[in-house]
Amino acid sequence: MALMPKRVKHRKLQRGRIKGNATRGNRVVFGEYGLQALQGGWLKAQTIEAGRIAANQYIRGEGKLFIRVFPHRSVTSTPLETRMGKGKGEPEFWAATIRPGTILYEVTGVSEQQAKLCFARLAHKMPMRVRMVRRRPM
Amino acid sequence: MIDVLKVESREKTGSANSRRLRRAGKIPAVLYGHGQDNVSLTVSSARVEQVIRHGGHVVHLEGAASGEALIKSVQWDSMGSYLVHIDLFRVVEGETINVVVAVELKGDAPGAGHGGVIEQVLHEIEITCPVTSVPDKLLCNVSALDVGGSIHVGEVPLPAGAKPVTDAEAVLVHCVAPRGSAEADETGGGEPEVIGRKAGEANAD
Repeated sequence: MALMPKRVKHRKLQRGRIKGNATRGNRVVFGEYGLQALQGGWLKAQTIEAGRIAANQYIRGEGKLFIRVFPHRSVTSTPLETRMGKGKGEPEFWAATIRPGTILYEVTGVSEQQAKLCFARLAHKMPMRVRMVRRRPM
Repeated sequence: MIDVLKVESREKTGSANSRRLRRAGKIPAVLYGHGQDNVSLTVSSARVEQVIRHGGHVVHLEGAASGEALIKSVQWDSMGSYLVHIDLFRVVEGETINVVVAVELKGDAPGAGHGGVIEQVLHEIEITCPVTSVPDKLLCNVSALDVGGSIHVGEVPLPAGAKPVTDAEAVLVHCVAPRGSAEADETGGGEPEVIGRKAGEANAD
């Protein structure tokens, strides 16, 4: 099941704008290898879940996968063939705001070669360019 | 092991000059501590990265400054690709310092063969030790780690004169049975609860 907040202050958000690179969540913390976004954008909850399934099928029983992003943002849309106006549309899906540099997933307990193959499968699901990074020494 | 770092003095400060330095393959550094004046320095980016990548903490300075220094802080760019700046802290021989040292697992855990997953909870631990015996990394032997077993910080062999600052009872690495696929507890489905709105109240936004 896709991730979603349990409680929110407001159901609908303004669209906002993604500026600059990630200054938080931009280093591998829990695992040994991470998947880093090289472009910004919204990452849908369904996409995060698709990535989790793709990665888990590969590392099942060997390593551990960490998901470093959460879809806090609701995205609304107006139904098709609806006249303009009548207020803001209903929430359609939930998404995480990704800035370039954000670590999306991390793995531990697997070799570098396995991590590379795992992230290669996972990268196919991502809507942005990504790269594999290692834990930074300091 | 103490690495040698050649440093040059830096007269021109500021972001524009630092950018020019970085383009030339060098990075700005600052040396401070022990009640002496701060010194602005320049070091080779590739050399510092080499020292950091193999786990070096204490360096021997040559050139515009001399003596031993601890790499106190390292700044990377936001993508984590290249170094931006380093802080060097003066240390003297015989002094005891606190350093954060990486922990590397060694050996094959039998628990991994019995269906367990080796999970390293702490990747680095803080220790206090003499300047001359700061290790590049600590090795933790997991060749006796079975499913359900764990190794604590206090069990890691440390160099002579070193003591852990991190809680000795903290779990460093453990071998756990893999979790099932029941991961549906993260979401409730439907819509999230809106804070400050009673259940059944109409959506006004």
